Amino acid sequence: MTNRRTSTFKKARTHLQLWQVVLIALFIFYMLLPIFSTYIFSIATRWDRTILPEGITSEFYQEATKASYFSSSLRNSLILSLSTILVSLVIIIPTVYWVNVRLPQAKSILDILMILPFGIPTVVLALALVQVYNGTPLGRTPQLLIGAVFIYSMPFMYRPVSNAMRSIDALTLTEAGQSLGASTLQVMIQVIIPNIFSGIISGSLLVFATVFAEFTLTKLILGARFKTFPLLLVEYTRINGNIAAAFSVISFTIAWLISLLILWIGKKGQGSSTQAPTAH
Amino acid sequence: MGFVPFLAVCLTFEFVPIFFLIRGSFLDKATQSYTLAHYQALARTVYVNSFINSIKISSLTAIIGVVLGTLIGYAIFRLPKEGFKNALISLSDVTTNFAGAPLAFAFIIILGINGVITQFLLKYFNYELYPAFSIYSFSGLVLAYTYFQLPLMVLTIIPAFVGIKKEWQESAESLGANKIQFWWHIGIPVLTPSLLAGLTLLFANAYGAYATAYTLVESQLSLVTLQIGFMIAGEVRHDPGVGMAMSVLSLIIMGLSIVVYQIATTRVRRWAK
Amino acid sequence: MAYLELRNIHKSFGNVTAVNNFNLDIEKGKLVSFLGPSGCGKTTTLRMIAGFEQPDEGTIRLGNQDITVISPNQRDIGMVFQAYALFPNMNVRQNIAFGLKMKKTPKAEIEKRVDEVLEMVRLKDTAKRFPHQLSGGQQQRIALARALAVRPRVLLLDEPLSALDAEVRVALRGEIRRIQSDLAITTVYVTHDQEEALSISDQVVVMNNGIIQQVGTPEEIYRSPATRFVATFIGTANQFFGNVAGECKVQSNGLTITTRKLSDFSSGQKVVVLVRPELIIVSNAQPDTNSGNTIPGMVETITFHGAVTRLGVHVNQQRVVADITMTSSGYISLNQKVWLSFKPDACKVMAVDE
Repeated sequence: MTNRRTSTFKKARTHLQLWQVVLIALFIFYMLLPIFSTYIFSIATRWDRTILPEGITSEFYQEATKASYFSSSLRNSLILSLSTILVSLVIIIPTVYWVNVRLPQAKSILDILMILPFGIPTVVLALALVQVYNGTPLGRTPQLLIGAVFIYSMPFMYRPVSNAMRSIDALTLTEAGQSLGASTLQVMIQVIIPNIFSGIISGSLLVFATVFAEFTLTKLILGARFKTFPLLLVEYTRINGNIAAAFSVISFTIAWLISLLILWIGKKGQGSSTQAPTAH
Repeated sequence: MGFVPFLAVCLTFEFVPIFFLIRGSFLDKATQSYTLAHYQALARTVYVNSFINSIKISSLTAIIGVVLGTLIGYAIFRLPKEGFKNALISLSDVTTNFAGAPLAFAFIIILGINGVITQFLLKYFNYELYPAFSIYSFSGLVLAYTYFQLPLMVLTIIPAFVGIKKEWQESAESLGANKIQFWWHIGIPVLTPSLLAGLTLLFANAYGAYATAYTLVESQLSLVTLQIGFMIAGEVRHDPGVGMAMSVLSLIIMGLSIVVYQIATTRVRRWAK
Repeated sequence: MAYLELRNIHKSFGNVTAVNNFNLDIEKGKLVSFLGPSGCGKTTTLRMIAGFEQPDEGTIRLGNQDITVISPNQRDIGMVFQAYALFPNMNVRQNIAFGLKMKKTPKAEIEKRVDEVLEMVRLKDTAKRFPHQLSGGQQQRIALARALAVRPRVLLLDEPLSALDAEVRVALRGEIRRIQSDLAITTVYVTHDQEEALSISDQVVVMNNGIIQQVGTPEEIYRSPATRFVATFIGTANQFFGNVAGECKVQSNGLTITTRKLSDFSSGQKVVVLVRPELIIVSNAQPDTNSGNTIPGMVETITFHGAVTRLGVHVNQQRVVADITMTSSGYISLNQKVWLSFKPDACKVMAVDE
C-alpha cells in the first residue's frame, strides 16, 4: 500500500515544465542568433535578398587576412594586451601580497579602489586623461593608453589573485618562510607566486580578453595612431560588411577560446567565474 | 612601501585626471576663473536630449533585463540536469561580454535594411519592417543592449535563487504557509536586494556603454557617452568644458548607482549567513 | 491509544532502505529522542512525521487523525532545524509572529503570544533585532520560540544543538527540556549525541540502519541494552568474546567468566560478555574470592577525564577499560600490575551472529 500526495512546493526536480522550455529556448535563440548570423555572413557570397545565403565562400577570410592593416592591428592588440598584463602582474601581485601580510587594514580601501573603475565610464576616463596630459610628454602616447587600460582592467586581475592569496593563507606561509631565514621578497617569489599560479593565469587571461576587445579608450586616446583589431573592425563595418563579419568571427573566436581556457583552469584550481567586460 | 607603486599609478591615471576634470568643468579656459557656464550650457536641447536618452535607454534595458533575466534565471535554476544548467550559465558568461562593435554589427546583419529577419518577415509574412523600424535607432539600440544585459542579470540572479535556503521553505511550511505565502513573505523579500543589485548593475552597464552605440547609431541618436566621445575626438567644435560638465554629471549618476549596488550586495551577503 | 502513532513505516531512496518497519507509540506530553549514528534513519523518520518526506508504506496518526498524506502546512506541527532557519528579512518579533499570521490570528493576540514565548526563552530584549545580529544559541532559542508560538500539537527538533558550542549546547538542552515539560508538549528530538538523549528524554529510541534497536527509558537503554549495537553505542562496554561453557560460565580466550544464569543460550554457543567500565573494581592486590570474576593485568594507559580516570588494562589478549575515581583505588601508575574484578551481575551476555 503506497501513499501518494501532491507536494506543496518541494523542489520537484523530476520534470521539465513547458514555461521553462519556452523561456530557455527563446533565450538560447536570442543569444545565438547574432553569433551564427555573423558567422554565416562571413562565408556567404550574397545574403541580402534571401533567408539563406546564396552561396558559400571563403574569399572574405582571405581578403580579411590580406587587408592592409590586418597583421599590424593584430600585432598592436597583442602588444597592448601583453603590456597591460605585464603591468598588472608587476603592480597588483606585490600590492595584494603586501595588503594580505603587512597591512590588513588597507584591504577595505583596496576593495573600494577596485570597484571605482566600474563607476567611471570609459569615455569619461578618456576625456580626463586626454585633457590633463595634453601637451605633456605623456599626452596621447601608448604609455598613457596602457595606464588607462590598466585602470580599466585591474579589477579583473585583482579578484582572482586576491581570492587565490586568501585561500593559501599567505600570512602563515610568510611567517614560516621568514622563520627559515627568507626575506619577504624571496617568500613572495619562491613561495607565494607558485602557489597562486592558477589565480595569476585566470587574471591574465581575463585581462587579455578585456584588453584585446577594448575599443573606447584606444580610439579616443590614440585614435588612428595606434590601430588595434577592434578599431580595424569598426572601420570595416563602414567599408565592407563581409570582411567586417570575418573580423568579428575571428575576434569572437579568440574571446571564446579564452573563456574556455579560463573555465578549464577554473576546474583545475580554485578559479572564480569572474567576467571580463568588453568595450561596450 | 608595497602599496606605493599601486597608489602612484592610481593617482597618475585615475585620481589626478578626474580631479582636473571636475575642476575643469567649473573653469573658464580663457579667463582662468571659476564659472558655472559649462553647466548652464547643458541646458541646450541637444545635451538635455542626450541625458534623457542615456537615462531612458539605461533604465529601460535595466528593467527589461531584470524582469526577463530573473524569469529566465529561474527557469535555468529549476533545470533538473546539472550539465545543461552549467552549459547555459557558461553561455551567459560568454554572451554578456559579446558587446561593442561586433555585436552592433551582428544586429545590423539580422535587422538591418537587408537583414535576415527583415527579409524573413517580408517573405513569409509580407510585413515590411522598414521604415517604421530601424536598427539604427533607439529601439534598435535597446535590442542590442538587451542582448548583453539579459545574461548579466541571469548570472546575477541564479546565485540568489541558490541562496534561498530549503530550511526557510520547510520552516514556513511547518508554520502553515503555502507556496504563494512563502514567496510573498520571504522568498521575494530575500531576493529583493539581488534584484536591486541587478537593476543598478545593468543601469550602470548600459549608461557607460560606448562602442555598441558608436557602431550602431553614431550621430543619429544623442547619447551622453557619444557626446563626450565627440568632444574628445574633436569632431565637433565645442568647448571641452561642456564635455567635462557632462562627465561630472555622469560620474554622479554612476556613483549613485555603484553606491546603491554596494548597499544591495552587502545586504545579500549579510542575509546569506 | 497513543498520541502519536507510527505504524509499519517503510522508506527507501532508490536502492537504499532508510527506514524499515518502524513502529512506535508516543504518549502525549512526552519527550522522545531518536538516537543513532549518521544515516540510521532518524532524521528521515522525523521528516516523515513533519510531512517533508512521504513514507513508501505505513501510516502516521496524530491525535485521532491520520496525517500520513496531509501536507506539512496543515499538520499543526512545530519544527526546529539544525540550521536555525530564521527568516533573514524579518526581525525576531516578525519571525515568531509568522506562524500566527498564517493562521490569521488577530493582531492583539499575536502581540501577546509573541511576548509570552519570548519570555519563555528568556530573550525579551531581542525583539527588534535581526537574525544576523544574534549568536547561534540565541538564534536557536528564537527558532524554538517561533515553533512554539503556534501551540503545535507536536514539536519536532532535528539535531537542534549540533551547530552550537559545547557549553551552549549543555545549557540550551536543559532549557529545551524545561520548556517542553512546562508546556507538556509532545516532542520528538533527533540527535546523534547520546549524552544529550539520555539526559533529557522520557523515552529513547535507538536506531541503526533504519531499524529500531530498542525503545526504553534512558536507564533501561543504558543498564539493559537489548542488542549489541545498543550496548556499544550507548556508553562504553568491554567485550569478551567466547562460548557458553556451562550454566553460568563463558569461556573467552582462556578466561572463565562467571555470569548470571545463561538459560537463553545453548552450550557452546558463540556469545559476547559485555561489562561496563564503571562496574569493574581495580585493586593493587589480589582480591578475595567473593569479588566475583578476578583477572590480573597490566596498566597500559591512564586517561584523566576529570571526575573519573579511565584505565586501559592489558588482560590476556585484549585491553579492558575500567573507570576509577581517585577515592576508590588509591594511586595507580603505568605498567603497574593490577587486579580487575567484576561481579556476575555486571555481565551482560548476548548472542553473536556472524
